Amino acid sequence: VLPAADSDALHARVRAFIRASDAPHRTAPEPFDALALDIARFQAAHVPAFARLVRARGVDLLAARSAAAIPAVPADVFRLTRLAAHSPEADVALFRTSGTTQGARGEHPLRTTKTYALGALSWGARLLWPDGPQLGAIVLTPTRAAQPDSSLGFMLDHFARTLDGPSAFHVHLDATDATREAHLDLDGIAHATARARESARPAIVLATSFALVHLLEQRGARDLRLPPGSRVMQTGGFKGRSREVAPDELRGLLVDAFAVPPAHVVGEYGMTELGSQLYEGTLAAALAGRPAPPHGVYLAPPWLRVSAVDPVSLEPVAPGEVGIARFVDLANVDSVVAVQTADRIRVTPDGVELLGRLPGAPPRGCSIAADEMLGHA
Amino acid sequence: MNDPREARLARVERMVAAGRRAADPGNDFGREVRAALVATSGLSPEGVELALSQHLETDPTPEHLDALLASSGTAPRCHLVLAANVCTAALRALAVATATAPVVFVRPSRRDPALATLLTRALGADPAFASVGGTVTLVDAITAAPGDELHLHGSDATVRELTSASPPGVVVRGHGTGLGVALVGAGDALDDAAMAVARDVIPFDQRGCLSPRAVLTEGDSERALAFARALHGALADLSARVPRGPIDAATAAEIAAYRATVEAVGDLWGGRDHVIGLDPTPRALLVPPAARVVHVVPVASAERAAALLGPLASYLTTVGSSDSGGITRAVRALAPRARHARLGEMQRPPLDGPVDLRLR
Repeated sequence: VLPAADSDALHARVRAFIRASDAPHRTAPEPFDALALDIARFQAAHVPAFARLVRARGVDLLAARSAAAIPAVPADVFRLTRLAAHSPEADVALFRTSGTTQGARGEHPLRTTKTYALGALSWGARLLWPDGPQLGAIVLTPTRAAQPDSSLGFMLDHFARTLDGPSAFHVHLDATDATREAHLDLDGIAHATARARESARPAIVLATSFALVHLLEQRGARDLRLPPGSRVMQTGGFKGRSREVAPDELRGLLVDAFAVPPAHVVGEYGMTELGSQLYEGTLAAALAGRPAPPHGVYLAPPWLRVSAVDPVSLEPVAPGEVGIARFVDLANVDSVVAVQTADRIRVTPDGVELLGRLPGAPPRGCSIAADEMLGHA
Repeated sequence: MNDPREARLARVERMVAAGRRAADPGNDFGREVRAALVATSGLSPEGVELALSQHLETDPTPEHLDALLASSGTAPRCHLVLAANVCTAALRALAVATATAPVVFVRPSRRDPALATLLTRALGADPAFASVGGTVTLVDAITAAPGDELHLHGSDATVRELTSASPPGVVVRGHGTGLGVALVGAGDALDDAAMAVARDVIPFDQRGCLSPRAVLTEGDSERALAFARALHGALADLSARVPRGPIDAATAAEIAAYRATVEAVGDLWGGRDHVIGLDPTPRALLVPPAARVVHVVPVASAERAAALLGPLASYLTTVGSSDSGGITRAVRALAPRARHARLGEMQRPPLDGPVDLRLR
């Protein structure tokens, strides 16, 4: 059987799983673990790096019955080797991580974006517009055309095209500038918010944290208030691209600037290496009339399993204990289904608490720490 | 300021004399230094003995001392901020400071203050040092004044922070973070090169910017594989004599992450006290944690070596190689201010000035 046919079949099963998760009764067509293991077996046969990891760990995927048995590939590996079951010629998208001073950017090749898009839209609809897509979109990233290797750009492009209201992207890359410096279109944002106010049509602001900080610092006297029902999705850290602002402080500033309730400011957690995303559940709870869960607790979709593992043994920690995040993401059909990060988390029945990156070993004077070389580009 | 060369040289020589006593296990001072370093350095007792007996710069040649004096500035006072990395680094830093100024203030590392504290005490009790105007004082905080020199050793963040906090007119010499790499040329015998690299990795448990964290082997992946195997054997041999010190939880986590990463991209060899990783087709150079963990990659050409090291060029403090082939020349061109040493000699720089020759 050709890998493409296997891949297509697995994608179809994952999309069925996602669709079933959206259905009223939410009965999965098959167990998560069985599907995850089938994907892992496919990848062990066709993704050399994953196959090496499986061999090195001595894992018998044929005998395994739990997704916990799947060895997780460290996110750094996306930077070091190609993680794909297909050849580069079959790529329909190649998402890249932001740069580091260590050189190559991480790459996540996709031979279809259908599963990614379905999952992103499905979970976005549940957590960002559970009340329906009658929203305008004010997007503070470049367009997908301007930044085709951005997974965030891909997702937000789909969001903007799915939502009913007017949408516009308000970050422009200077094509004449070799550094492709980004410019925030402050007047365009103000115009979009004014239009939303005039039409009384709620809008969603979709943005990175650092773009929001730049907006707040540069807005001057511009009126950014949005009509009732509006909301803000913010994602990502700062990576030296703006002043760092504590989450509570930034949320407060966004509440004031856009005139939205605190629960309507929703954090997103995503990474290039994953096909799925997590969101804070504050907006969905508020719109459903439920008590809003605290900010900082993220909800994973049913097709993404998040567990906390010990940073040394990589074995699961006790429930409620802090560990580093291990993801089993069914949307990663053609790369690696299990991804290991260095992000500290606590998994509770309420969701996933994000606690920041695992601190590196203490700096040893002139000896550079690996951490020090990350995230400066 | 009038600080004659003879006085500067005499102060450095008294500093070296104190270091010589510290290196000698046969006297009380040497024994006291050993006990203190075992308690604070994080090295095993054997590691401390290796550091003091083999890697303390106690026999400089006149030419090296000339170079040290020539590379040092002159100031009425020199303030020295030390880091905890290489437990013997205080000797060189103090030698440069005493060459710079008769009056030296030292803020030792809070984590590993041992050698700086003991050398300062030894100099304070040395009438010959005092007779050439030398004083060295331990301080908790730096209060540099215009005209003074401030020598900073530590992470880039520490250097930046203290530099920005120093008043105008203070000459700051910052020695921030860096790393070493070793190059194995096409003509090098692999077993010899592996043993030499192991001798560069073992001291100070690979801490410090003189230690090679990565090895670039000229040739194909099979040659890199053979080198990695030889290095595994060499490190196992040397580690049996000089065990690694205990590692903290954060370092253990970094090693676990490195292991998992290399298991996916290549081959891994783990000993009780070391890890070797091989990436046979490197797209980027992975920098492993500094705990006797060595990353080996093949490079087919000088251009490939430069491409891999390019993103790290500003961090390269030391380059080890035993030939002058194309790869060595390319890396020297990439990092012209890095120290260059023969394999096996990376941890033995002459006492000719600061270890870190990069300008900050």
